[in-house]
Amino acid sequence: MKGISHFISGVAAASFFPFAVHEAANGNPLYFVLGGAFGILPDTLDFKFYRFFYKHDIYIEPDPLRPDPQKIADQLAEAVAKAAEQDEMVKVKLSTIRLGADYWQQYVVRFDPDTQEVLVRFGPVVNTGQVPVPNSEQEENNVGRAKLAMPIVQTYDATTRVDIFDGPTFGFEKDEQGEIVLHFLPWHREWSHSFTMGALCAVLGGLIWGWGALFVIMAGYSVHVIEDQLGFMGSNLFFPFTKKRSQGVHIMRSGDALPNFTTVWVSCLLIFWNLYRFTPDLPYSFSFFHVALYGAIIPMGLYAIALHILSRRDDEEEVEIDMADEWGDSKMS
Amino acid sequence: MMLILQVFIMTLVGTVLSCVLACLPGLHVYNLMGLIVMFIYWLAARGIELSPESYLPFMVGMVVGWSILNTIPSILLGAPDESAIFTVLPGQKYLMFGRGYEGTMITGVGSLAGVFLLVFIIGPLAPKYLPVIKKILSPYMAFIIWVIITYILMSEWPKGGNTGPAGWAKFRDAWKSLGAGLFTFFLSGIMGFILMYRSPVSTEVAFQNIMPAFVGLFAVPWCLLNIISGADVPKQYISKSMEIDGAVVLRSTAAGGLGGGFAAFFPVITGGIGGLLAGHATAQRDERVFIMSQGVSKVMYYTGAFLFFFVPGLGLTRGGGAWIIKGLYTPRSFYEYYMMLGAVAIAGAVSFLMMSPLTRWVIKLMERYNYRYVSIGALAIIVVLVFLVVGGVGLFIMIVGAGIGLIPVLFASRRLNCLGILLLPIACNMSGFGHIIAGWLGLL
Repeated sequence: MKGISHFISGVAAASFFPFAVHEAANGNPLYFVLGGAFGILPDTLDFKFYRFFYKHDIYIEPDPLRPDPQKIADQLAEAVAKAAEQDEMVKVKLSTIRLGADYWQQYVVRFDPDTQEVLVRFGPVVNTGQVPVPNSEQEENNVGRAKLAMPIVQTYDATTRVDIFDGPTFGFEKDEQGEIVLHFLPWHREWSHSFTMGALCAVLGGLIWGWGALFVIMAGYSVHVIEDQLGFMGSNLFFPFTKKRSQGVHIMRSGDALPNFTTVWVSCLLIFWNLYRFTPDLPYSFSFFHVALYGAIIPMGLYAIALHILSRRDDEEEVEIDMADEWGDSKMS
Repeated sequence: MMLILQVFIMTLVGTVLSCVLACLPGLHVYNLMGLIVMFIYWLAARGIELSPESYLPFMVGMVVGWSILNTIPSILLGAPDESAIFTVLPGQKYLMFGRGYEGTMITGVGSLAGVFLLVFIIGPLAPKYLPVIKKILSPYMAFIIWVIITYILMSEWPKGGNTGPAGWAKFRDAWKSLGAGLFTFFLSGIMGFILMYRSPVSTEVAFQNIMPAFVGLFAVPWCLLNIISGADVPKQYISKSMEIDGAVVLRSTAAGGLGGGFAAFFPVITGGIGGLLAGHATAQRDERVFIMSQGVSKVMYYTGAFLFFFVPGLGLTRGGGAWIIKGLYTPRSFYEYYMMLGAVAIAGAVSFLMMSPLTRWVIKLMERYNYRYVSIGALAIIVVLVFLVVGGVGLFIMIVGAGIGLIPVLFASRRLNCLGILLLPIACNMSGFGHIIAGWLGLL
């Protein structure tokens, strides 16, 4: 999910603690701030710290003056061949191709398990807002293709789009069946996205801010970990006791608009409900059913109906992994 | 009948005036409203009393017209106010592809959708539900602002550190922009403390206290950047279609309505923050939805905040417009509220109709003169306006603000960090320790 969804979920988790609401009413925002901050912290650790120190075995850095899709495909195939020869994971970093201050060469990488090939296709030049520059897509020599040494198993989406800012990382690891398992962003959702790390943060927070902070931090952190199980990547739930990322339940992608919006909206309603029920001497009386009905069911139902009527039913294209989806705010700088 | 005609005419006059003035970069509608209120007091002192049916629709027209038309300087001249800060980047991309007119009109459609949302959905429901929401949330405003500050500071994405081997060099490169963002927030926060506790602005124009700082933080850096970079703006095409459909409008309205509505209802939360929340909360990938939602958000923020002042039983004063009018008039009944709703509808329609001709006019101006000269002209207008409204000290504040506002421009960090100027001192005050910080800074 996107940062704001995790953040507001953490705030909503904090609102379930009466002491947090009581302190907030007295002007002390600590518990709500902790809930939000630790709700977003797992991604902060990964995207703002850990990834810059994560060592890769192979760095694929295309020449911006002579970008060549075949060369990228060959290097990926070499990485797979290397993984076939060793027991440890081969970590590959794909760099973006920056052509100018605001221009990037977009390319798509696709591992095809059926043909046992990797395909690299150059798309248009895009700006930092990911808007294609008109007529910038080259018509010739825009596809690279290379045969893979072993069959590959996808654990994430089939295609990955690389364009602005940072490029993706792939991990290639040989399994017992003699196939190469493809791990997407192997540095992401590892130790940072575990309940054990949440517990450690909670204990440290408890020592600094008291026992109330311990519960709030654990709740905020855990909500993040649980929400991430809804996607395609899962996470390493009990690091260091577990070694691998769990499989997500595959019901959403991190950048999907509807689940993110729903999470934010439901969190806001929960915060409102908790503030209401923990505030003494209010002249109003209503149930959670009223909040859900007037705050969610009716407006979101009407919105869904209107959107259904107004949407043109285009055939859905295969969705690519967009590196800017999970966290990025390219339009917001 | 005469009364309706009077309301209609005054709305029209206010709207047309503000639509034209909105094309001037740097001029904020609240500056004008402050001057108009001073003029009304001046008339009253001479025995000339204006009826509320004269000046209230006029004011509404000004707020609505400006909140819709200020898209033009933001996108075409790159001189935004704070609420339009997120329209500049995508807007300038449209401009650089010769689609400045299209970008402006898409934002305008969003603004019109915002007017529709206010008049037909939020307006009728507000008297019943907003007083309940306000009563429940009132004790918790401080934590809400602190939570938003935390999100703003934690949600910025590193823009460097994308190539090279792992290690500290990569980390340092990545944190350049993040560090600059944090530095900007706290520096502008200190500036906010100074302006709040030891403002050099004279008491006669105290209501314009923050104006030169905002202009310096948000509009001047863009103008300077345009002047220095000397970008050649390609020929602008007047497109006949905006390639938008009902679904795009609906998604934009939901996103912008949420962000702008939030900003209109909560104290200190500005249109820029509303725009940020709108963009993030709805995970917009579509550039058209994003830019249109910013149009919705702006109208919701400015017009919504002004309108909420008139909601019977709510007693909410949010935004500079409501604070300016508060000293002049106290709303009493549904009569004024529905009059204001009607005025919003008229002003929204008129403003949208004026959007196309005024955009074309500014584009013609840009084609006639080099964009660098247009930017110099925009900067000159800003400087003159600040000097006229606040005086020499205003120019000094503006220059300091511009210095801070240039940091995110130079380091590619988020410009919204400049809002530390409002958020930090007010959040500290609401939590009861603002005076302690002011004491540390030697301001007491």
